[in-house]
This record gives sequence, structure tokens and C-alpha cells, in this order.
Amino acid sequence: MIENKIGVISCSGEECLGGTISRLAVRKMMEELKPGMVSTLCLPLFIAGDGGEREFAEKYPTIAVDGCSKCCAKRAIEKYSNAVAGSVDVAEIIGEAKALEKPLSTRNLTDEHMEYVKQAADKTSQIFDEIVAKSV
Amino acid sequence: MSKIKVIPCSGIGKVFGLLARESVLMVTQEKCPNDTETLCLAHVVTGDDEVVGKIKGETCITMDGCAKCCAKKSVEETGGIVVKSHKVPDFMKAHRGEEHGTGTYLTEDGWKYAEELAEILVEDVKEIKKGEN
Ligand code: SF4
Ligand code: SF4
Repeated sequence: MIENKIGVISCSGEECLGGTISRLAVRKMMEELKPGMVSTLCLPLFIAGDGGEREFAEKYPTIAVDGCSKCCAKRAIEKYSNAVAGSVDVAEIIGEAKALEKPLSTRNLTDEHMEYVKQAADKTSQIFDEIVAKSV
Repeated sequence: MSKIKVIPCSGIGKVFGLLARESVLMVTQEKCPNDTETLCLAHVVTGDDEVVGKIKGETCITMDGCAKCCAKKSVEETGGIVVKSHKVPDFMKAHRGEEHGTGTYLTEDGWKYAEELAEILVEDVKEIKKGEN
């Protein structure tokens, strides 16, 4: 079992709504859906860290959670570390136009946005379970 | 003149990353929308030509959540000119003992702190604009 060693990394994009959703979906994984079973990493540490971070996706099967179809988290993980074990593109869930709306402060989130977070987190959780099932 | 790029690290693990993110969104969306904009830091990290084109040689301000200074280093690595850089913990002294929230949400004290950080960024923007004129 690799249950407590699955990496989940969000892009946390600052330019659009999808980035806000990706970030909150990963926080939901950490706090509600898979507490204690998720390892995460600040994505920019791939450049700014001491280099040890680059082993992250080698050590943990890692799921990238991205805010739009540019899939920056997925591509950065694969550029600096290793192939991802799974990925979520928020734009595929809520639609590209919605994902590219302007980013939201957490104080302006509505029930509709929280539903998007739930859907993105549920999709991430489903991939998490598939990875665990494959490892048994 | 292109807009000043104000870029937070948006660190995921602790409240400091969220404070950096929220303070920058206050500046780019509410306080100085005509003079500033932000960029996705994760896009900067990819090193895509598209984002390098947007940032190379441009005036940037960074707000980081810890001493690892991910925003500052990633922006510099991509050719952005970081004229001001800050770290959220550097301004903690006056806020000792307060609860600011988590990486998911800010408390009332957290929002006050984010507002204070935003004002520091606004002062930077004013200073940079004054130098341009
Ligand atoms: S995937 Fe999209 S939202 Fe996320 S960092 Fe990249 S451009 Fe920004
Ligand atoms: S500066 Fe610190 S909090 Fe911000 S992304 Fe880097 S490691 Fe995370």
C-alpha cells in the first residue's frame, strides 16, 4: 500500500479562476477528503528549493491539479521531477471560459465556486483511489 | 508603459502563502488595477516562451510566504527585474499572538494583515511610478 504517500500538487494560478479552484481542491484533499494521506509541495520550489524537491514525483506517485489547459503544474512536475501519475484540468470540469475568468479572492467565493472546488477535489480523490487500488 | 507585475508565491502549505496571494489580489484587482497585474507563478516556473516574453526585462514586485523566496527566485530566473521583494513573515512582529487562518482561509486578523501587506505593495507601486515620471 502506498496510501499515505501520494503527492498532490496544484498550480494555484494567480491569473484566473481555475487557479483559485485548483488550489482549494488540493486544500480540500488535504483537510477533508484524504487527511494525512496527501503529500504536497509548493510548486515553485522546483526552481527555488535546494534541489531535493526534484525527487518529489520520484518518491511519490503525484497528481497534478491545474486550473486551465496550459497544465503548468503537470508540465513543471514532468520537467523538473518525473512523470505524473494522474492529472486534473479544472477547465475540463467547469469549462475553459469559466476557468479563465478573473481570479477570485477567497472572500468572494460563492456557493457556485465551492461546488467547482468540490467537483475538482472529487475528481482528484477518484484518481487518488485508482492509484492506491493499482498499488495493492 | 507596461503594467508592474506583482507576483505572490501562493505557497500551499501554510497561511503565509495565502496571505501573500490575497494581498497581491487586493493590489492588482482593487487598489492599483491600472498600474499593476499579476502572472501565474506556476506558468513562470514552466519557463514557456509565452510567459518569458511577458516577464523578461519587466519591472516586478514579489511577495513570498517564507525565506525560500520562491516568487523572487522564479521571476529572476525567468528574466523579470525584481525591484522590490518582500516576505510575509518579515512584517509579523506587530502581529505576534494573532491567529491568521490556514492555507485555505483567513481569519479577521488574517484579512487585516493581508490588507497591511497590500498597502506595503501599494507604496512600492507609488514609488516605482514616481521614478518613471
Ligand atoms: S494551469 Fe492555467 S491557471 Fe494554472 S498556473 Fe498555468 S496558466 Fe495559470
Ligand atoms: S516562498 Fe515559501 S511558502 Fe512561498 S511557495 Fe516558496 S516554500 Fe512555499
